[in-house]
Amino acid sequence: MNVQFKKGVLDLCVLSMLKESDQYGYELANTLSEIIQISDGTVYPILRKLATDGMVTTYLQESQSGPPRKYYKLTGLGKKTLISLQQEWLTFSRSVNQIVGGDAQ
Amino acid sequence: MTREEYLATLKSALHSLPESDIADIARDFEEHFSIGLSQGKTEHEISAELGDPATVAGTYFDEGLEDIGHTMKESAAHYASAASSAAANRSAAETSGTTGTTGSTAAVKPVSPQKDLTGARLFVILLNVLITWWVAITVISTLFSFWCVSISLLVGGIGSFTALAAAPGDWISVFVLFGLAGILLAVATGILNFFLSKWTVIGSKAYISWNKKLYNEGF
Repeated sequence: MNVQFKKGVLDLCVLSMLKESDQYGYELANTLSEIIQISDGTVYPILRKLATDGMVTTYLQESQSGPPRKYYKLTGLGKKTLISLQQEWLTFSRSVNQIVGGDAQ
Repeated sequence: MTREEYLATLKSALHSLPESDIADIARDFEEHFSIGLSQGKTEHEISAELGDPATVAGTYFDEGLEDIGHTMKESAAHYASAASSAAANRSAAETSGTTGTTGSTAAVKPVSPQKDLTGARLFVILLNVLITWWVAITVISTLFSFWCVSISLLVGGIGSFTALAAAPGDWISVFVLFGLAGILLAVATGILNFFLSKWTVIGSKAYISWNKKLYNEGF
């Protein structure tokens, strides 16, 4: 898949994945790389940027095996941003599909 | 690429950032490697999945790092606080349960209940105070005395040879015999001692890491 396509929606993907539960970097990287074929390493710069922008906070939690894991949690701002990004994405993707064709509405 | 190589390349590609930021980014990747390894992946597989370190490092600059130093300092505080005991962690969990989000990203808030480590820690401390201490002294002094035996055999053997010149005629063969026997025994016991010492060191290291694991993670 085109790298430029992915780049714009990675923030949205990460925020969406954090909607249900807090996750640590490895989990996010694994899921994301499986679904949209990005390299695992790409997730960490995104997470850092989201933290800088106040979309997520981080906390450390002990794990049964290995070192403590850094978990990411959506902030209030993150939740609001996610909702508006979701709307934007749906509208945008619908419009693009209209032009490009394909089987979507 | 091994873990070391990956981290080295990543760090060198990030060199224009402040030292603390580089260390903080490296920690995220170290954590990724540790978790991957614990799931049975090899360092090479994990490196391949992460993608080219130089490209990944470049992404940190693309994503706009204007005031990322702020966030990173806070997350350095996370790691510092995580290094403190689980007891502190638990009390943090209790207090944050009432305050909710403390407004700072540095708040340590476990999602699930922490494992109680008190028993394991007490066990480790008592084990070392009551038993290990005495075992260690015994082992070390035994090894020391073994080495003393080897050294005195060697000194005795060499001594016999040096005394040959002064020995009366009929004693020469006895002195040669003593000398040879002394040196041979010194070499033989020396080899034995070497392995005993080596095993002791290996055993001690294993014991220490077992203790650490027990102390930090419980039974």
